Amino acid sequence: MVFQNGHGFFFAITNQTATLPCIRIPTYMQIQLENLVPVPLKDKILQRSSDIWNRQVTFTPGHFIKIKAPSGTGKTTLVHYLYHIRNDYTGAILVNGKPWPSYSKNNIADIRQKQVSVVFQDLRIFEQLSAQENIELKRIMMPQPSCTAEKIQEMAARLNVTHVLAQSGRTLSYGERQRIAIIRALVQPFEWLIMDEPFSHLDEDNAQRAASLIAEECKARKAGFILTDLDHDNRFEYDTLYNL
Amino acid sequence: MPSFFQLLKKIIRTGVGRARMIMATLGLGIAMLLLLIAIQVHTDFDQLLHGRQNENESADFLVINKKITNEMMGQTGKSEFTDQEIADIQKQPFTQAFGFITSNQYKVTAAAPGDLHFYTDMFFESVPDAFIDVKNDEWKWSPGDNALPIILPNDFLNLYNFGFALSQDLPQISQETVKALPMKITISRGMLTQEFTGRIVGFSDRISSFLVPGTFMQWANEKFGSGQKTAPSRVIIKTKDPSNPVLVKYLDDKGYTTNQDKLKYSKTKLIVQTIVSVIGFFGLVLLLFALLVFSMFIQLVIASCKREIQLLVTLGTAPRQLQRYLMRQFVPLYIVIGILALLVVAGLQWMAAQELEKHDMIVSPLVSAGTICAALLVILLVYIVNRFNVRKYINAIS
Repeated sequence: MVFQNGHGFFFAITNQTATLPCIRIPTYMQIQLENLVPVPLKDKILQRSSDIWNRQVTFTPGHFIKIKAPSGTGKTTLVHYLYHIRNDYTGAILVNGKPWPSYSKNNIADIRQKQVSVVFQDLRIFEQLSAQENIELKRIMMPQPSCTAEKIQEMAARLNVTHVLAQSGRTLSYGERQRIAIIRALVQPFEWLIMDEPFSHLDEDNAQRAASLIAEECKARKAGFILTDLDHDNRFEYDTLYNL
Repeated sequence: MPSFFQLLKKIIRTGVGRARMIMATLGLGIAMLLLLIAIQVHTDFDQLLHGRQNENESADFLVINKKITNEMMGQTGKSEFTDQEIADIQKQPFTQAFGFITSNQYKVTAAAPGDLHFYTDMFFESVPDAFIDVKNDEWKWSPGDNALPIILPNDFLNLYNFGFALSQDLPQISQETVKALPMKITISRGMLTQEFTGRIVGFSDRISSFLVPGTFMQWANEKFGSGQKTAPSRVIIKTKDPSNPVLVKYLDDKGYTTNQDKLKYSKTKLIVQTIVSVIGFFGLVLLLFALLVFSMFIQLVIASCKREIQLLVTLGTAPRQLQRYLMRQFVPLYIVIGILALLVVAGLQWMAAQELEKHDMIVSPLVSAGTICAALLVILLVYIVNRFNVRKYINAIS
C-alpha cells in the first residue's frame, strides 16, 4: 500500500532511517603524553632512554598498563603528573586531546569523580575520619553515588579489613591504610585507575586478593589502569609494559 | 550514614576562629541595627511631616510677599514683584504650582443689612480657584449676577469673636450666622458705583484675605479700574514640602516672607536629618569592619585546614562543593542576625508609635518596607562579599 504513490514511498524510507538503532561507540578517556620531561629530573632523564619520558605515548583505553620503574626515575612524579596534582614538566599531557591546564578546577573535579581514580603511594587517608568514613566520603562525593554502602562492606570483607572499618584513620597500620585506599579508589566510576605501588605494604596473599578485586572492578567498568611498581610481577594480565 | 557535608564538618573545623566569628557577628548585628534605625527614623519623620493623618491643611500652600522695610514705606512699587522675579520663582524646583493674588483697583465698601449700623471700607483679592481650600457650589460669579460670593479668612472671624467682640461687649458670631448675613457691597470709582449682595460662602485657613471669584475681579477691574495693569505684590505657590531647606533659604536670600509658622519644621528636619545621617554613617562604617573581620575569619578557617582542603580537592571534591559547604556554615548566621535586628527595630517602632500617639502624632506601628528592604540588602551584601572571599581563598590553595 505504502509503495503505491511516490510520497508514501519516501515517507516509508525516512521513517525507516529514523528508527534505525543508533550505534554509539563509547568514547573512553584518551590519555596521551607528548615529550613529557619533568623539570627537576631533566638532566638525569635525557642521559638515558625511557619508554615514557620525552616520547609520544598514547595509553589505549581499557588496557592494563604496567610501568616498571627503578627508584629515582620519577615514578611517583609521573603518577602526580597523570593525575594533575603537579605540573612542573615540559611537553604536554593531553586528556581527550586537550592539555590538563586547559581544564577548569571544577572540570577537573568532575573528571576525578567520574573518569579517573587514584591510589597514591603515600595513601592519603584522613586521620580525623574512621576507615569507613574515609571510603564513604569518596562514595557520596557525587550527588548520585555509583555504588551502595553495602558494596563497601563486601569489598572490605574481600580484603580482610572489615574489623578496622570503625577505627580512626590515625590508628590504622600501613597495610590497612593501603587496602582502605584501594577500596576508596574503587567506590567511584572511572575509566582509568592510576596506582602507585599499590601493594607495597601487603603480604602476598592480601596483594593477590587486592589485585583480583581491582581486575574485577576494572573489567566491570571496561576501564583500564596504569600501575607503577619497582619490579616485575604477574598479578595482572598486563596488556602493555613500559620501562620508565 | 553521615552525609557528605557532615563528613566535611569533621574535616574542616570552623571552630578555630570562634572569637573572630563572635566579633564579626556582633559587629554585623550592631551595624545592621544602626542602619535599620536610621532608615526607620527617617521614614517615621517623613510620615509625620507628610502623612495624611498629620497633614496640616495649609502646609502645602505658601503666600509669598516682599518684606516691608522702613526704606520701602510709601513706595508701593518696591513691594511689587517684577516679571523676572516671578519667572524665577516659577522655575524653582520646589514650586509645583504658581498663582497671582490680584487686588482690586476700585473702592469697596461693605454695610451690614438692617439696623446693625455696620459700615466699612474694605478690599478684595482673588486667586486662581485651584489655590482655594473652600470647595463650594456657590463659589462662582458671572457678569450680571447680583449675588457676590466672598471667602473670609478664618483668622478674621477669630479676631472679631475673641478680640473685638469680647472687649466691646458685642455678641460673638458663629460661622453659620456670618454665612446667613447678606452684606451690601458697593464698589465705586469716582461717580460710577454699583451695588451687590455679598454672601460669605466659606472661611479660609490658607489665604489671609477677602477673596472674590476671579471672574468678578476681572470684570470689576476692567469696568471700575484705572485700566493700567498693576504688578502683583503677593503671589501664592503650591509646594510639596514647605520645610524644604532649599525653599527656606531661597526666601531668605530674596528677602521674601511668608507665614513663618509653616516653615517651622525646616530646622527640626535639618537636625533630625543630621542625626539620622550620623547614625547611618556609623552603621555603614561598622558594617565595613564587620565584613573585614568576617573576611579574616574565613581566611583563618581556610588556612588552618589547608592540607585537608587540598586533599579533598585531590580526591575530586569540586571547589564549588567546598564553597557551598562553607557558605552553609555562615548563611544561617546572617539570616538570624537580620531577623533579630529587624525584630528589635520592630519592637522599638511599636513602642515609639505608642508613645507618639499620646502626643497626637501618628506613625505606623509596623516597620517600613524600606527598612525590611535595607535588612535584605545588607544580608545580600554580606553574602556576596563572603562568597567572594570564600571563593578567593579556596581557589588560592586548591
